[in-house]
Amino acid sequence: MASTETLRRPASGFRISRKMLPYVLSLPALLVCIGILIPFFTAVIYSFQRYRLSQPWARQFNWGENYLNFITDPAFWNTLKVSLLYAGLTVTLELLLGLGIALLLQRRSTVNNFISIMLLLPLMIAPALAALMWKLMTNPSFGILSYLASLIGLHDFRWASSPDTALLTVVLVDIWVYTPFIMILLLAGLRSLPTQPFEAAALDGVPRSFVFFRITLPMLTPYILTATLFRLLDSIQQFDIIYAMTQGGPGNTLTVFQVEAYLNFFQSTNVGRSAALLIILWAITYTLSNVFIKNWLRLRERARGEA
Amino acid sequence: MYEKEKDLISAFLRGEVDRRGMLKGLGAAGLTVGTAGTLFNMMSTQALAADFDWKAHSGKKLKLLLNKHPYADAMIANLQTFKDLTGIDVTYDVFPEDVYFDKVTAALSSGSTEYDAFMTGAYMTWTYGPAGWITDLKEWINDPAKTNPQYAWDDFLPGVKNSCAWNGQPGGALGSDDAKQWCIPWGYEQNNLSFNQAMFDKAGVSVPKNLDELSVAAAKLTKDVGGGVYGIGVRGSRSWATIHPGFLSGYANFGQKDLNVGADGKLSAAMNTADSKAFHAKWVSMIQESGPKDWSTYTWYQVGTDLGAGASAMIYDADILGYFMNGGDNKMAGKLAYAPFAANPAASAPTPNIWIWSLAMSNFSRDKDATWYFLQWATGLEHAIFGATKMDFVNPVRASVWKDEIFRERLNKSYPGYVEMHDVSAPGAKIHFTAQPLFFDVTTEWAATLQKMVAKQVPVDEGLDQLAESINRQLQEAGLG
Amino acid sequence: MDTMSPLERTLRGLALTLVVVFFMFPIFWIFLMSFQTNETILAIPPSIVFSPTLSNYAALITGKLQTAAGTLDIAFMSNLGNSIFLSVASVAVSLVLGVPAAYAFARHKFRGSEDIAFTLLSFRFAPPLLVLLPLTQYFQWLGLSNTYLGLIWVYQLICLPLILWIVRGYFEDISADVEYAYRIAGHSWFATFRKIALPLAGPGIAAAGLLAFIFAWNNFVFALVLASADKQPVTVGALAFVTSSGIQYGQIAAAIVLSVTPTLALALYAQRYLVEGLSLGAVKG
Repeated sequence: MASTETLRRPASGFRISRKMLPYVLSLPALLVCIGILIPFFTAVIYSFQRYRLSQPWARQFNWGENYLNFITDPAFWNTLKVSLLYAGLTVTLELLLGLGIALLLQRRSTVNNFISIMLLLPLMIAPALAALMWKLMTNPSFGILSYLASLIGLHDFRWASSPDTALLTVVLVDIWVYTPFIMILLLAGLRSLPTQPFEAAALDGVPRSFVFFRITLPMLTPYILTATLFRLLDSIQQFDIIYAMTQGGPGNTLTVFQVEAYLNFFQSTNVGRSAALLIILWAITYTLSNVFIKNWLRLRERARGEA
Repeated sequence: MYEKEKDLISAFLRGEVDRRGMLKGLGAAGLTVGTAGTLFNMMSTQALAADFDWKAHSGKKLKLLLNKHPYADAMIANLQTFKDLTGIDVTYDVFPEDVYFDKVTAALSSGSTEYDAFMTGAYMTWTYGPAGWITDLKEWINDPAKTNPQYAWDDFLPGVKNSCAWNGQPGGALGSDDAKQWCIPWGYEQNNLSFNQAMFDKAGVSVPKNLDELSVAAAKLTKDVGGGVYGIGVRGSRSWATIHPGFLSGYANFGQKDLNVGADGKLSAAMNTADSKAFHAKWVSMIQESGPKDWSTYTWYQVGTDLGAGASAMIYDADILGYFMNGGDNKMAGKLAYAPFAANPAASAPTPNIWIWSLAMSNFSRDKDATWYFLQWATGLEHAIFGATKMDFVNPVRASVWKDEIFRERLNKSYPGYVEMHDVSAPGAKIHFTAQPLFFDVTTEWAATLQKMVAKQVPVDEGLDQLAESINRQLQEAGLG
Repeated sequence: MDTMSPLERTLRGLALTLVVVFFMFPIFWIFLMSFQTNETILAIPPSIVFSPTLSNYAALITGKLQTAAGTLDIAFMSNLGNSIFLSVASVAVSLVLGVPAAYAFARHKFRGSEDIAFTLLSFRFAPPLLVLLPLTQYFQWLGLSNTYLGLIWVYQLICLPLILWIVRGYFEDISADVEYAYRIAGHSWFATFRKIALPLAGPGIAAAGLLAFIFAWNNFVFALVLASADKQPVTVGALAFVTSSGIQYGQIAAAIVLSVTPTLALALYAQRYLVEGLSLGAVKG
């Protein structure tokens, strides 16, 4: 590990011991965030309580009952299914699309640079407002997209209002909003790859597909993992787009975790159930991120080993 | 200066001359409308002040939490009058309707002392009251030392006033003797028909008189008006708001209930009766045939927008949506008409379920007496008249405002049938839900079930049985069933 | 990659066009709407022909909205100011805290380093709703509710993990040899960090900072719950046009255009860092 070697010589000037230095550097960030742990643990306690704001007298610990109820609650399993499906679909599609666009824009040119900045625009619109605009654009009477759809023969396409197409519609909006996020991170990654391997491959006449799968993709993987991780964390917690477009409907088509938890908290004021739902959501994201980080670190180590 | 005019206004304020007589007199005296208004405000302030110590809390500060709404706009426009009258300084936070109740819940649940009074709906008080976040206002209303003699609590429309009073017992009747007055009505909405007269004429449709006629009329409008116009706008999003307007008004007209209250006070679901199933079936097929294509994401603002832009021919929803769409920059402004609606052919009168924007007092207010000063002013007759005649404070909740000639004429001139609609349906207008803390759980699931029925994912009968079963389970879980 | 057949060139051009159309069309449409009133926005069928008006922008910028019921005040510009202040301050704090930490994680394997890094990341996946209720209560007690300080602190949940993890990746991509050489020459640790590491990772820091800025900009639930009306961001301000007397699509569209402008300006300004200067090949080990 060359990096540790680098700092073996004591620094002149600063008198912080080498051993303490990393702690000194990372502690402020940790301290600022650690305050959030207190409300977090308070919420964990809520999740083990029978706690409805409208029945304050009945508030008591019911240990795990909120969680046990989920096992027999079909609404919960639907929530789990829809959330995972939504996250899986959006992240996969956005990753493929984002990678594709990044590859299209890889070559440095003024036009490409300009396009890549302009493509960030959807990301800059707050998702709640973007969803409102999409709702208007897919309105059956005034919506430009509904109109365009009717021009190609789709006269009765109901977008987010039909249980058959609601998921596709919100996924489409999610793709529109968040693909630029993945695109920009991967574009940055692509453009920072070392040029030597590609030049060598070109000289040897290696097929392009081989270059892509055996050189580009492996070298890009750390970036892909970072982008996917952040996208996954956000996607499985999606609220704004879904709530603004369908409020979780039609029926129970889109009652993802955050929508359920929001309704439980702000409308039903059933804090116990809401907190339990969110703790489960937290546990899922925790596990997923753990898997990602492990792989990320492994890849980093390997990349460093090869370098 | 203006002594004679002042006398005339005083006479009006004492009730010796009616409003029309006063304005006629003022007009004869050659006063401009502006001057008359100024004089009127000055004199009314004096009149209010005459027999009651409005300055008792002078120098205090209050803060309000308000929804972005014409009612709030009207109050803010008149707020200086209150400040002058009482010497109380009032500040306010206005939040968009979309996020308003989230803000209220967050502020109250944290026990924040920031806001003294806030706007709310009656349904919300079924949570806020038992949670201990708001104050029973009866104590103040009934205290002559704290309430000005002209407040006239009896002047409030009884159905509206009682709908804001609940004893806190799940299933307890609204407006019962032991009820607590959780909030004071401010402005309210009945659910009736607002329609596009020109489209009715074009399709040769007359105003429907019951649910069957409504379905037929809606279908004919959808078929004959053309241009993609659909016949009937009713809300459909996955929310409590889908249940409470036209849907529940029609449902209640058939004598149907959301919940049964047993002799032991236990609640159980009541929406799977044969009559209810018949009503649901008609409602669902009406939407399938002549409702908006985007019905399942269709919220209150779309009900209004579509009517105002000429995308729909008729709505069975809040009357004030029809009212607002008849003005402003809406394409159909000036082309809308109104009619009362009784869904049940056997019913003698409409029974609109109502939404009431009300004012409530936060239990965490640091000065409840001063807050009550604001509440009684804001819900008082003077402000109601100001709002109803100069601003869009419609529908007023006081009987005497509805008797006001100026107000009636103003409505009759631009909103044909509106006053009559109100007069016909006001006696049956009240909240037809069972007051209980699981209101939002019940209605949200009800809306989701309706969506499944309209999308043909579940047959009506089966859907209602499932809904009743699920609601009974939730009531039991909460210790209510 | 330099040799591209005409067919490939065409296909690439076509693909790029499709991408641009898909992502830009809604933006274009929103832009058009911002110059219209409801009367033309709600035309059946939708039409691209209209006589443009600046009334939406005028209403937003002057803060006065003319309605049938009189003149209403709009707080949009102060919402915009709040958004700018909150986002800039939050990202600045995140950079000051996050970049040194990212450097520490990238350069030093210390006891518990991965655990601390992961803990910091984990703040990103605590659902905001979960912490909000307790947080409002604790903020009451601490006197932080309705303060910019409190909001900026909570915004660290959005910004800090993003900056930390993205910047860390960039630091790890930079060879340590250059820093080593500089240290050998007798420079202090801090000087090395400032003169060598920071400039090399600059593009990555800029990219992470911009993304954090965007996410902070788009958040509104924290401010909504924790602060009063005078501290609300543009998102809440734009929702004010969904009113009981009708939804003002033109003003929402204009609000979106205005709210995107500062971020877009920032992105264009930082363009060379974002997409041009990310070539680290030269210094990669």
